[in-house]
Amino acid sequence: MGRVRRVWRRSLQLQVVTSTLVISVIVVVVLGAFLSDQINNSVIEGRQQSAASDASADRLRIADALTREQDDQAKPADAKNVPANPLDEVMDAIIGTGGDGSKTRYEVLILNRAEPGQSRASGKVTPRDVPPALQQMLRRQAEKFIDRPQRSTQPIRFAGEAQPTQTLVIGAMVNLSDGYEVYHFFPISDEEQMLSNVRLAIVVVGFGLVLLLAAIAYLVTRQVVSPVRLARQAAERLAAGKLDERLKVRGEDDLARLATSFNEMAVNLALKIHQLEELSQVQRQFVSDVSHELRTPLTTVRMAADLLYDAREDFDPMASRSAELMQAQLERFESMLADLLEISRYDAGAADLDLDSVDVRDVVLRAIADSEALAERHSTRFELRLPNEPCLAEIDNRRVERILRNLLFNAIEHGEGRDIVVTVGADRDAVAVAVRDHGIGLKGGEENLVFDRFWRADPSRARTIGGTGLGLAISREDASLHGGWLQAWGQPGEGSQFRLTLPRRAGVDLKGSPLSLVPPEIEMRRTWRGHQMTPVLLPAVGDGGGHDVD
Amino acid sequence: MTSTRRLAAALACALAAVLSGSGCAVIPVGGPFPVDEAGSGDSVTVPFQRMVAVEPKKEWSAQQVVEGLQAAMAAYGDDPSILPKYLTEEARRVWKPDGAVTVIDNAFRFDDIVENKEKKETIVTILGTKIAQINEDDTYVPVAPAEDGKVTRAITLVKDAAGAFRVNLLPQGLLLTDADVRRAYRPTNLYYLNGTSAGDREPDRLVADRVRLRVKPTESFAQTVVERLIEGPTSALEGAVGNEFPVKARVRSIRSSEDRVVINLAGPFTADTFLEGLKAQLRASLSYNKLASGRTLEVQIDGEPFSVTGPLVIEPSLPEKWLGSEDNQVFYTSHGAVQMMRGDGEGEPLVGPAGQPGGDHSGFAIAKDRDRVAARSAAGGIWVTRHAAEARWQESIPGTELTDPSWHRDGTLWTFDRHNGQVLRSHPAVSRGPEHVAAPALQGMDVTSLRMARDGVRVAVRIGTGQVQVGALNGGGAGAMLSNFHLLTMAERDDKILDIAWGDGDHLLVLVQTKAGQVVKEINVSDGETTQLPTTSKLLTSLAAVGEIILATTEDGKEILEFARDKQTWIPKPATAVDGPLFPLG
Repeated sequence: MGRVRRVWRRSLQLQVVTSTLVISVIVVVVLGAFLSDQINNSVIEGRQQSAASDASADRLRIADALTREQDDQAKPADAKNVPANPLDEVMDAIIGTGGDGSKTRYEVLILNRAEPGQSRASGKVTPRDVPPALQQMLRRQAEKFIDRPQRSTQPIRFAGEAQPTQTLVIGAMVNLSDGYEVYHFFPISDEEQMLSNVRLAIVVVGFGLVLLLAAIAYLVTRQVVSPVRLARQAAERLAAGKLDERLKVRGEDDLARLATSFNEMAVNLALKIHQLEELSQVQRQFVSDVSHELRTPLTTVRMAADLLYDAREDFDPMASRSAELMQAQLERFESMLADLLEISRYDAGAADLDLDSVDVRDVVLRAIADSEALAERHSTRFELRLPNEPCLAEIDNRRVERILRNLLFNAIEHGEGRDIVVTVGADRDAVAVAVRDHGIGLKGGEENLVFDRFWRADPSRARTIGGTGLGLAISREDASLHGGWLQAWGQPGEGSQFRLTLPRRAGVDLKGSPLSLVPPEIEMRRTWRGHQMTPVLLPAVGDGGGHDVD
Repeated sequence: MTSTRRLAAALACALAAVLSGSGCAVIPVGGPFPVDEAGSGDSVTVPFQRMVAVEPKKEWSAQQVVEGLQAAMAAYGDDPSILPKYLTEEARRVWKPDGAVTVIDNAFRFDDIVENKEKKETIVTILGTKIAQINEDDTYVPVAPAEDGKVTRAITLVKDAAGAFRVNLLPQGLLLTDADVRRAYRPTNLYYLNGTSAGDREPDRLVADRVRLRVKPTESFAQTVVERLIEGPTSALEGAVGNEFPVKARVRSIRSSEDRVVINLAGPFTADTFLEGLKAQLRASLSYNKLASGRTLEVQIDGEPFSVTGPLVIEPSLPEKWLGSEDNQVFYTSHGAVQMMRGDGEGEPLVGPAGQPGGDHSGFAIAKDRDRVAARSAAGGIWVTRHAAEARWQESIPGTELTDPSWHRDGTLWTFDRHNGQVLRSHPAVSRGPEHVAAPALQGMDVTSLRMARDGVRVAVRIGTGQVQVGALNGGGAGAMLSNFHLLTMAERDDKILDIAWGDGDHLLVLVQTKAGQVVKEINVSDGETTQLPTTSKLLTSLAAVGEIILATTEDGKEILEFARDKQTWIPKPATAVDGPLFPLG
């Protein structure tokens, strides 16, 4: 059902053809009913008129014969050669009895119930075949001395016939005072057959017409919809980055102009994108060049600063403090420059992996050892949760250690002195390291922003441990280079957790992580509350509220 | 173009197509075009009218009740439910409609009504003249003019509990007027074969058997005819003709279309059915009664083709063979010699002794292929000669008081020995005979003339000069017998029947001398229907006929007169000194 609805909503052609079908069915039905009714009326009316005129002529002859009969009876009876009853003669004349003359197509019944021997019938009609309502109407009229003919149409099953025949019966009184009822029976089965054929023809033609209209609508809409569909597909390909996608232009109609406009748009778009790419390239190159160019004077400045720093005790306190400050800022400047160079290597696509099979636990321990001094300064303790088994993986030792270091520094900086939990997990395909702090946490939507370059949750806050603002960005690039994921989770007041997942073998795609992104205690609390929250599961996307890292 | 506008355009097109289609549907003008032949509709029914009987009314007089009874009798064949309502319980029990139908003239009247107050009876008497009766085998037997046909039917009525007259006593059988019979019955010819396929020789002629059949409203008249045909011939031809329909055959249905009539039969038809005969019987019995004319007949058995080889189809025209156009060469006798009339009307003597004048032979008869001539010798006996120069008269049937010889189409020669009162037959071609043929009905009769009909089935005899009877040759070979005789016509008082001659198979010409003059009657031997030919002032002595041709000789001028049917007058032929005209056979 849903599929049908989807097809219906997405296919303009289907909508047009269906609408055409529905409307043409309505039109054809109305028109067919009207036509059928008109033909019915004219055929039946024509038949009724001719029948009425036949019946009327016959009644005149019968009335004439009956009048003669009365005249004959008035005369003295001639014993010899009495002619046959005038009724017989008139019936012979009406129905063509005996001769080769054309047979009438109707039957006649003369009925006189009051007089013996004065009733006649032709063919197989009997008094029982007269519709009772017609007979009663005639008698009611006769009582009021009205002799208006009446007709009635109905199926009558004549004696010896298996099926009833549709018959038009016209009845009238002749010689009202003597009570002669004359009925004419006109079979109208031929007309019925004809009308039935006409009706069938109308139905067949109507059906054909509806199909024809549907086919026409299909063809016409196809002419319009096909180019639109091609344009849509081209736009989709263009959106997917295939900037050289173009539409064929045929003719000069609206659709051709649409294709021309589309192609112009694509050309302009490609041009703009190309210009932007070039600009971006120039900028990256500029950063890289600036970084390189800054190193040489910086080295000189550093050497001079080192001399000053080493000799600071000889300076007055003010100068000594300045030398210290300069030393510290120079270190930070160097770090920043190193990070800029590193990230410009990524931008230039020049970053390589130096893979080695390493136990990740050792890497974690080294990273913690490197961070302990800082942790102590922040009164922060590490809680390690390492597996007993070695967690071997093909990784670049240096880069992973840098990632971990960045994560730990970040956790220390934002952990507000609370414990930092480092968990290592492994399964058949992947190893993972999760760093959990219990600091201020991340706001919604910040899980991805934390990995942006120079991003800061609260710009007014100073970088206390001297991060460059590129640490997490570089870490994510490192993780991506391994084919791994670096993801972040955080909630305001609940702290945050960063999870690094790496494949055990380089080049193998990750299917999942051995560790949960959401810390287990948070997950359990959610379950208890019975309230479902969608865990953020974004590949290679992390977060960090206010985590800017060094 | 928006979809709405497209739709509107499509609808406009459809509407235009429909309207233009309906606008063109008037009668196209043009022509001439060839027209398919179409039949005139139903060819197996005949138009007919019927008497409709009404129930008796309480207020009717006794005479009106009898009139109503009369109408109910006329309608009895179609609706037997009304008539009993005219009868009392007792009459219903006693009265039977069976038996022959008495036909009275239209001028019947009612005698004075007699009321018997003691018995509380009213007697209404019908006085009429019986003109015919229709027997149970459907033969229509007219009352001879000589007979007294007065009919008196007394009908006794009583009043029932409601005070209405009801018939308590009436004569058995149906009493119809001539008008009733004309209305409800049709004279119908049924055709049988002049022999059976199992007999000595194959039938080659159809024999008409005339009956009156009642038209039934519930079935086509063709079905009535075929059903009656299957039943077999009437008593006049019983045993004398062949019927190729098996005894238990019956008609399932007869359907008519534009060019074909399908007759669906049922019955024990066997492989040795003489199909030619069956086809001829059906074709003739329908066509000559104006049924299925011009249409092919197809005979089916139980709705299946007649035989495994295919359907039995009967063409619209009867094959020439059965039509029996007889030899109509005119011969005549003059001074005891047989002359053949040439095209110019002059005579040419026959080759051989028959053509020699001056002989003492009379009552000549010419055999079927003109190969033999028979005559009665003045010395006695029937003599036969071949139609050849070297031929001689040879005595074929000896006897002294023999009637004029008559040839049968099978080559036998027939005469009646008045002396011994028996029918004799010889076969000159095989020199067999004479032999006695049984004719019980002619025992003791004064047979003055015996003529075999050309179809070889019917035989007409003149009894004295007063009456003519017609019978049939029953059986073949040694078992042959002349039987089924019935009176055809009778001379009134002093009238004399001078001569008889067969026209075609079912018409006999009778020359009658009345006080007022001579009369030539053409009588249908089946139902006695008589056509009186216009008389001539000249006295006629003898008749000869074949088919439509009727010849007579005058007493005075000894000339031959031919009856011209179109002008209804007698026209003389050139030949003179004629004793009598002759045709082969008859």
